[in-house]
Amino acid sequence: MALLEFRGLRKAYGRAIALDGLDLDVEAGVFTVLCGPPRSGKSVLMRILVGLERPDAGRLSIDGIDITHVPPGRRRLSYVPQSFALYPHMSVRDNIAYPMRLQGAAAREIHRQVDRAAQILNITHLLQKRPDQLSGGEKQRTAVARGLVKDADVFVLDDPLVGLDFKLRERLMDDLRAMQAELHATFFYATADSLEALTMADRLAVVEAGRILQHDETEAVYDRPQHEKAMQIVGFPRCNFLDGTADGRGRCETPAFAFASEAEADGALPQGDIRIGIRPEAITVTDAPAADHLSGIGRVRLVEDLGAETVVYFEIGSETLVTCHPVGTPMPLGYDDAIPIAIDPQHVAVFDRGTGRRVGRGVGNGHA
Amino acid sequence: MSDGWRQHLYHALLWLVALFFFSPVAWIILSSFKTADDILAVPPKLFFEPTLENYVALFERNAFLQQLTNSIVLSVCAVLIAVTVSFLAAFCFSRFKPRGTDFLMFLLLSIRMLPATAVILPVFLMYVAFGWKNEPIGIVLFYAMFSIPFSVWILKGFIDGVSPRFDETALVNGASYWHVIFRVILPQVRPGLIAAFIFNLIFVWNEAVFNFIIGGIDTHNIPVALWTGAYADGGVDWAFIATMTSVYLIPPVIFIYFFQKYLLVGMTFGTVRGEV
Repeated sequence: MALLEFRGLRKAYGRAIALDGLDLDVEAGVFTVLCGPPRSGKSVLMRILVGLERPDAGRLSIDGIDITHVPPGRRRLSYVPQSFALYPHMSVRDNIAYPMRLQGAAAREIHRQVDRAAQILNITHLLQKRPDQLSGGEKQRTAVARGLVKDADVFVLDDPLVGLDFKLRERLMDDLRAMQAELHATFFYATADSLEALTMADRLAVVEAGRILQHDETEAVYDRPQHEKAMQIVGFPRCNFLDGTADGRGRCETPAFAFASEAEADGALPQGDIRIGIRPEAITVTDAPAADHLSGIGRVRLVEDLGAETVVYFEIGSETLVTCHPVGTPMPLGYDDAIPIAIDPQHVAVFDRGTGRRVGRGVGNGHA
Repeated sequence: MSDGWRQHLYHALLWLVALFFFSPVAWIILSSFKTADDILAVPPKLFFEPTLENYVALFERNAFLQQLTNSIVLSVCAVLIAVTVSFLAAFCFSRFKPRGTDFLMFLLLSIRMLPATAVILPVFLMYVAFGWKNEPIGIVLFYAMFSIPFSVWILKGFIDGVSPRFDETALVNGASYWHVIFRVILPQVRPGLIAAFIFNLIFVWNEAVFNFIIGGIDTHNIPVALWTGAYADGGVDWAFIATMTSVYLIPPVIFIYFFQKYLLVGMTFGTVRGEV
């Protein structure tokens, strides 16, 4: 049984629907990331979980016990909010110790735990300072430390790294990941950043417009997105989408390519209006494509050199696609240069354009 | 160099204006050390032989010490009650936002828009009916009632400035609302509390009309004593006025000297809080 269960949660603010009958199970001892665009309902779900908001309908339980109406203080949850909310009138040490003080822990135990958390987050030298003397990253680490000292069933982190600079974010991601592994704790983490999600998550739940689109192992979500939006939300650079049609006998056409498709395990062959998704890294630049690969000649429109990889926007058959490569891939890189590209059909996902659901994937280039 | 010259001129001007506004106070304080004849001498005597006679006479008056005590007790009690009640009310307005909060806040303040003379008769009749006339508790409650609206305004502004995220962090960690109000919010709005305290203190400290009408011998404070004692022996008793006023000035002057930065905070409804 899952540790956390959300069932049919609904929440609306006036006419704006934040949660639209959301169901989700979060397993114990697992780092679960809730990933979705801004205003998709992540924060509302987190706030309902910790008890700061009441759902309009639905219920939630921890360990099988319904907590829908349990006051926030009795939920045995630890919460790191999006804003740091460090108390300006307390030192960093007192801020971190705060949840334990409220729980009535012994002074010596508090001291020990605070030192440990401070050491993990590398803020031992800041313990005597006041929050207004800290930089953004230091405040963030203090807030995380405060969230971690508490003896809790679930650690709830609501986008705690938003707004930090890249290097610091990367370090804190590693720290959080290591900490979760060390404590065997249950982490429930919300973010809008797919890089954060992919880096840290054991399991990934993709949320959009107040519903869970897909919840699975992180690799599964990335490799086999079950919904067009899930593919769009998780991944960087942005995924390529092409509109096309399918004839219901396996053949799909888009302005750029035509290809052969197969159905998902339990469904029919794609038919009617479809949208196909291709991740940038699935597009390779090669003069000698494999026999069954989709291939074509693109025209370079824009090149972004990111250091470790190069992102190329090119035009093919009236569509603009994006591809990325490790630096060193030989290719012409000037505006309007012709590049030969190839795509493994296995990496072409086919979605129904009406529902957004996945209905199939590519199997060949249709020439065979 | 010209900048330094301008600056000096500017400072000299500031001193001049400040001294001009201070001159009545200076006249009062100087007069308290003069004999009755010297006070009214024409031309005014700037150099005179100081005397403590007036002070001796003042402290020998039967009612003086009780009136001074009344002033202190009435203002401190009334303001403490007002600030406590206002703080809790402001918390509720700020956090729970009852329907029509803005209108309620306006209604609350409207009591301060009434001239005292418009309400003094009904209040007097009410106090007589309740048997509260000449009761210190009655006066304290009246002053508290009169001080609450403005305090709620000041404090709501301050509490609005404290992010509700602070409350939430406390609540999630198992704190009660009591804890949120007094351990989380209060330390962060201390300048506002002190500002509200000072503002109300100044009002109650100088209030005479209501004290005179709804109070009595047991509740009269210094302003009432000044008012009733100013005319004596067929003339204005300037020595008495000057001496009593000089003594009466001391507590607020000391108090405001130490807390003047909060006065600025209160006047600007917390918008310069960062500088305190």
